[in-house]
Amino acid sequence: MNREHENRRDDPAAFSRLARMFLWVDDMRNVNRLVWMLVTLCVVLGLLDFAYHKHVEFPIEEFPAFYGLYGFFMCAGLVVAAKGLRMILMRREDYYAPRSVEAEEHPEFDLGREDFDA
Amino acid sequence: MPEILTPAAIYIAAALLVPFLPNGRARQLFMLLVPVAGVAVFWTLPEGTYASFNAMGMHIGLMRVDALSRIFGLIFSIAAFLSIIYAWHVRDTVQQVAALLYAGAAIGAVFASDLVTLFVFWELTAITSVFLVWARRTEGAYATGMRYLVIQVFSGVLLLAGTVLQYRETGSIAFETMTLGSPATICIFIAFGIKCAFPLLHNWLQDAYPAATVTGSVVLSAFTTKLAVYALARGFPGTEILIYIGAVMTLFPIFYAVIENDLRRVLAYSLNNQLGFMVVGVGIGTPLALNGTAAHAFCHILYKALLFMSVGAVLFRTGTAKGSELGGLYKTMPLTMLFCVVGAASISAFPLFSGFISKSLIVSASADQGHYVVWLILLFASAGVFHHSGIKIPYFAFFAHDSGKRPKEAPTHMLIAMGITAALCIGIGVYPAPLYSLLPFDVTYHPYTTGHVITQLQLLFFSALAFTVLMKTGVYPPELRSVNLDTDWIYRRMLPVIMGFLSAMVGAIWRGLSQFTEYYITSFIRGIYATHGPHGPLARTWPSGSMVLWVAVILGMTVLLTYV
Repeated sequence: MNREHENRRDDPAAFSRLARMFLWVDDMRNVNRLVWMLVTLCVVLGLLDFAYHKHVEFPIEEFPAFYGLYGFFMCAGLVVAAKGLRMILMRREDYYAPRSVEAEEHPEFDLGREDFDA
Repeated sequence: MPEILTPAAIYIAAALLVPFLPNGRARQLFMLLVPVAGVAVFWTLPEGTYASFNAMGMHIGLMRVDALSRIFGLIFSIAAFLSIIYAWHVRDTVQQVAALLYAGAAIGAVFASDLVTLFVFWELTAITSVFLVWARRTEGAYATGMRYLVIQVFSGVLLLAGTVLQYRETGSIAFETMTLGSPATICIFIAFGIKCAFPLLHNWLQDAYPAATVTGSVVLSAFTTKLAVYALARGFPGTEILIYIGAVMTLFPIFYAVIENDLRRVLAYSLNNQLGFMVVGVGIGTPLALNGTAAHAFCHILYKALLFMSVGAVLFRTGTAKGSELGGLYKTMPLTMLFCVVGAASISAFPLFSGFISKSLIVSASADQGHYVVWLILLFASAGVFHHSGIKIPYFAFFAHDSGKRPKEAPTHMLIAMGITAALCIGIGVYPAPLYSLLPFDVTYHPYTTGHVITQLQLLFFSALAFTVLMKTGVYPPELRSVNLDTDWIYRRMLPVIMGFLSAMVGAIWRGLSQFTEYYITSFIRGIYATHGPHGPLARTWPSGSMVLWVAVILGMTVLLTYV
């Protein structure tokens, strides 16, 4: 069923109006624009630190854009560490089967599968 | 008012009635009235203990109304109400009855003023909630439910043991602030800790919640763990060890959440991380911190339910909640996507969303008290939760690579439930005053200061930048069909293997011993047989002549020996 869908060309007119408002994210150029907007926003937020008096509890907070830099590097570290953990922790989906739900299909009676154009 | 009329009694009575109502709209409407009636019972009551009586020399109190129990009672009722709307399509009586009893038990436990009542409702939450997992009706769900039940009941048994010890020690079963130290309080503390998913005691949560039905996991996400947070806030405020337990709790689940594929399990890990914030608040124990815990529990129940609802809607329509199988759903499920983003923004504590006005109380309290390292950890955990719940969930479900799936938008009742929840998340974030007025202590706190908003936005947007950079450079780990080992490996794999090894060893030794003894007994019997058997020398028939000869010989010998 998936294969069939992948080859189907989406007709934007078939989507709801709300969905059409987001279709621009399918274009890679728009995504890149979004990324640059995010970069600009980060720079502005970082510079804003000089524009007001920050009430601090700890000396480290006085470091310019401390919150931003801390968030950036800790998150990058988080992902790299988690990726490393995968080497130790990751197992096949049926590792605990049959005493686990991971390798099972979700039972149909609990679902309401429906295609949007059905 | 009759003394027995408590919110829990209403839920239980309704749950007994539900199977006899026609399965359809009438039953759903009736169920929807239950949380409303529950709130009506306690909301107008002035503070005090109601429905109290003496039983076997112990003072039982079914309904203690004060600021702390009232806010938890209210949010539990709201959660029950929203999950009934979300489950409007469910025609499974087992799930309906279980959900009502479960919510009622949780609310009953919140209002319990003594440890025995608390224990009864504590166990009832365990026994009723497991049916939401079993309702999936597969072999895997049955085994998962069993694991869940064993751990939950163990927590209850510990609570009972603690209660008995406490009664022997103090002669009272009142559920009041305790000091950690005696065996009784340690038992009770660990009982709370199991339900609160303390590190190393946590795995039942990530194991069971993703195994429940679509609607079941929404119900599960609200009650058990927040009941434990309430119990900790009531019993052990200001217990220092909780600060460190909570800090570890905020930290380790985010690593798992990054590499987990099943989005409902990602949510279970982030639930665990959010509980950590609340536990830190209880540990700090100042009025500001305890207010933070109560407020955060309130907001958390809403946005976590919203996230479980939106991922549940995706599961409902596509049959899977795995990141590796999803993507591109925004095209046909745009409303679900928007509600999911609201939930994600709330859990990430974006300004103007609910998480911001509640989490900042706890983080501020930790800074006020000079807990430098804890504050840094909480900050990291805040960035981390944005990373895996705020970005990962909406991104991998609704955007990322196009899975080719084009499911229909979620059914109307699910959209209504998500819509109300999302409105509450935004409403609380924009206008926190009503929530603040419900908090247990009078503390003036202004979340929207310039510095606070800017630093929080910095933290969030730079974290988003980190995600983008890692995604663009291909460092970000792809979603893979897999399971990750957690502490449950100990009881699901290691202990069974050790038990298998031990039983093989014992079996081998037993076999060896029995073969050894059997060999000797057999050869002994064979020896006897050889001498005494029908053909043995001792069984031979001797001629009487030779007998006489031998008797003569013996006689001769005797005579000889006598006279020599």
